[in-house]
Amino acid sequence: MRTVRMPLRGSAKLAWTQVEYLGQETLRGLQRGGWMNWAAISTVTVLLFLFGISLQTSWQVSGLLQQMGSNVQISLYLIPEADGEVVQGTVGQFPGVANVEIVPKEQAWQGLLADLGAADIEGVTEGLGENPLVDELVVRARSVGAVPQLVSSLARVPGVDSVSYLDEALQHLADLNQGLSRVSWAVVSLLTLTAIAVITTTIRLIVIARHQEIEVMQLVGATHTWIYLPFLLQGLAFGLGGAALAWVFLVATRQFAQHLLTRQPNFLQTLAHGLQLQPGQALLLPIILLTFGSLVGLSGSLLAVRRFSLR
Amino acid sequence: MTQAPLRQSVIETILQESQTPTSPTKEHAYSVQLRGVNKVFLQTQFRLQNIHLNVRQGEFLFITGPSGSGKSTLLKLIYGEERADQGEVRVEGQNVGGLRGNRLSMLRRRLGVVFQDYKLISRWTVAENVSFVLRSQGIPRDEVERRLQPTLRLVGLGNKANCLPCQLSGGEQQRASIARAIVGSPRLLLADEPTGNLDHDNAMQVLGILKKLNELGITVMITTHDLYLIERGQARVAHLNQGRLEVLSSEQVTPCEP
Ligand SMILES: Nc1ncnc2c1ncn2[C@@H]1O[C@H](COP(=O)(O)OP(=O)(O)O)[C@@H](O)[C@H]1O
Ligand SMILES: [Mg+2]
Repeated sequence: MRTVRMPLRGSAKLAWTQVEYLGQETLRGLQRGGWMNWAAISTVTVLLFLFGISLQTSWQVSGLLQQMGSNVQISLYLIPEADGEVVQGTVGQFPGVANVEIVPKEQAWQGLLADLGAADIEGVTEGLGENPLVDELVVRARSVGAVPQLVSSLARVPGVDSVSYLDEALQHLADLNQGLSRVSWAVVSLLTLTAIAVITTTIRLIVIARHQEIEVMQLVGATHTWIYLPFLLQGLAFGLGGAALAWVFLVATRQFAQHLLTRQPNFLQTLAHGLQLQPGQALLLPIILLTFGSLVGLSGSLLAVRRFSLR
Repeated sequence: MTQAPLRQSVIETILQESQTPTSPTKEHAYSVQLRGVNKVFLQTQFRLQNIHLNVRQGEFLFITGPSGSGKSTLLKLIYGEERADQGEVRVEGQNVGGLRGNRLSMLRRRLGVVFQDYKLISRWTVAENVSFVLRSQGIPRDEVERRLQPTLRLVGLGNKANCLPCQLSGGEQQRASIARAIVGSPRLLLADEPTGNLDHDNAMQVLGILKKLNELGITVMITTHDLYLIERGQARVAHLNQGRLEVLSSEQVTPCEP
């Protein structure tokens, strides 16, 4: 009724009034919060920083894995008497195997010599008496995770002399990544609950400090939304503030790490390259942090006002 | 009351604004109606029994009764802070007991309440306490500014806008709470013992303000146990005693009543 009565110059003005009021009330709430604001914001910052680190690490590790060749390649060396094609047929039946190729020993030998830079192939071969290599099968696994099991079962295939895969390091990295992500999942869940609890407490304290105002507001006809929305916005502000800080810290640490690595020898420089996020990920990271932060902030403040506003 | 013409014009503008045809309730003969209202507080075993009361639009009504007789409770039933156990409470035809949430808020915007304990926010200046009503109803800042000064002048606090409640005398605090009750240009004003803590001069000043508002068309209900005020008020009186309400005319009130 009041909204009808006042001289309206378009609903834009009304909307602006509301935005202005809500902004002002939110600020007032933040002023009232004092040091509790920092408790709330820093908890969110710690949460989102750790969350961001683990997300970023998992991206970087999978980036590294890709960079170093994601198709893990297993080499099977056959005993001299084995028939390469028969073994190839057997190995091809394994469920984890994507494909199998034969590298005949002649081809392998030539490749090796070429790698060694020997121009006179025949000369070298003569010197050794004969080609010292055996036939080799190159197996590509369907997934990195399937490799260790595949390796042990391939070693038992008749005709196979030995099995090796050069990417064991990658495998360890993938395992480590998986383990880490499990730990960080647990830590992040725990911290999420903590952050929500801190925000709930902060906002509830402010609500209690302002209960006199809230009571009078109710008695003079302010709606529940009008009364409690500033508190929700305050929770949102905690979430967004924490997310922004966490993102700043993340970017700073990443750049610091890269800075350190680029002054190192070549091998580590490759690593520095791997630390770089892809453009999509660099954009996604702050978005995810802000979303996560606002969800945490909103749920904290909703919990804080729920009890009061449902009356 | 030296500024009477000015005050009158201010209130008239405020009132004209409130008489919009878009008002959700139809024009109603009765501002307030209570029909067979029962209310029991179990903890204190206090009860209001079978209260009937009709208050016409534009009426000025006293509600008297000894302390603890339920005067404040009766007003709370009207502005929806308490709910009747039985019976109906209607404000301009609208059943208050059935209102919840935002609809109750909208009803409260149409009434002004002067609380017995003022309920001024001690950290805020008079201006903030008064304008806060309009701000919390979503009224733009310039409109709030436009209404604030005239309202403060009306209650004689034009020069105390920036004082905190603790810097005001009792009478000034009371008038600040009246200003807050009328700044939203209500059609019904409920004043709970508005002269209870005031000396004679201040009490008369407050009565004068309330009478003036009434002359301008606002329905006014005042609770009081000040018999002198009732005598001066020249209005209908409803008397609460032992949980029952008895409607008297002002002539029936005799100074020897408890
Ligand atoms: N919320 C409540 N719960 C229990 N008892 C109440 C409550 N409010 C008021 N009372 C009781 O109701 C009676 C009337 O109170 P009130 O309406 O404030 O009287 P008055 O305003 O006439 O002095 C008192 O005895 C008081 O103790
Ligand atoms: Mg009372």
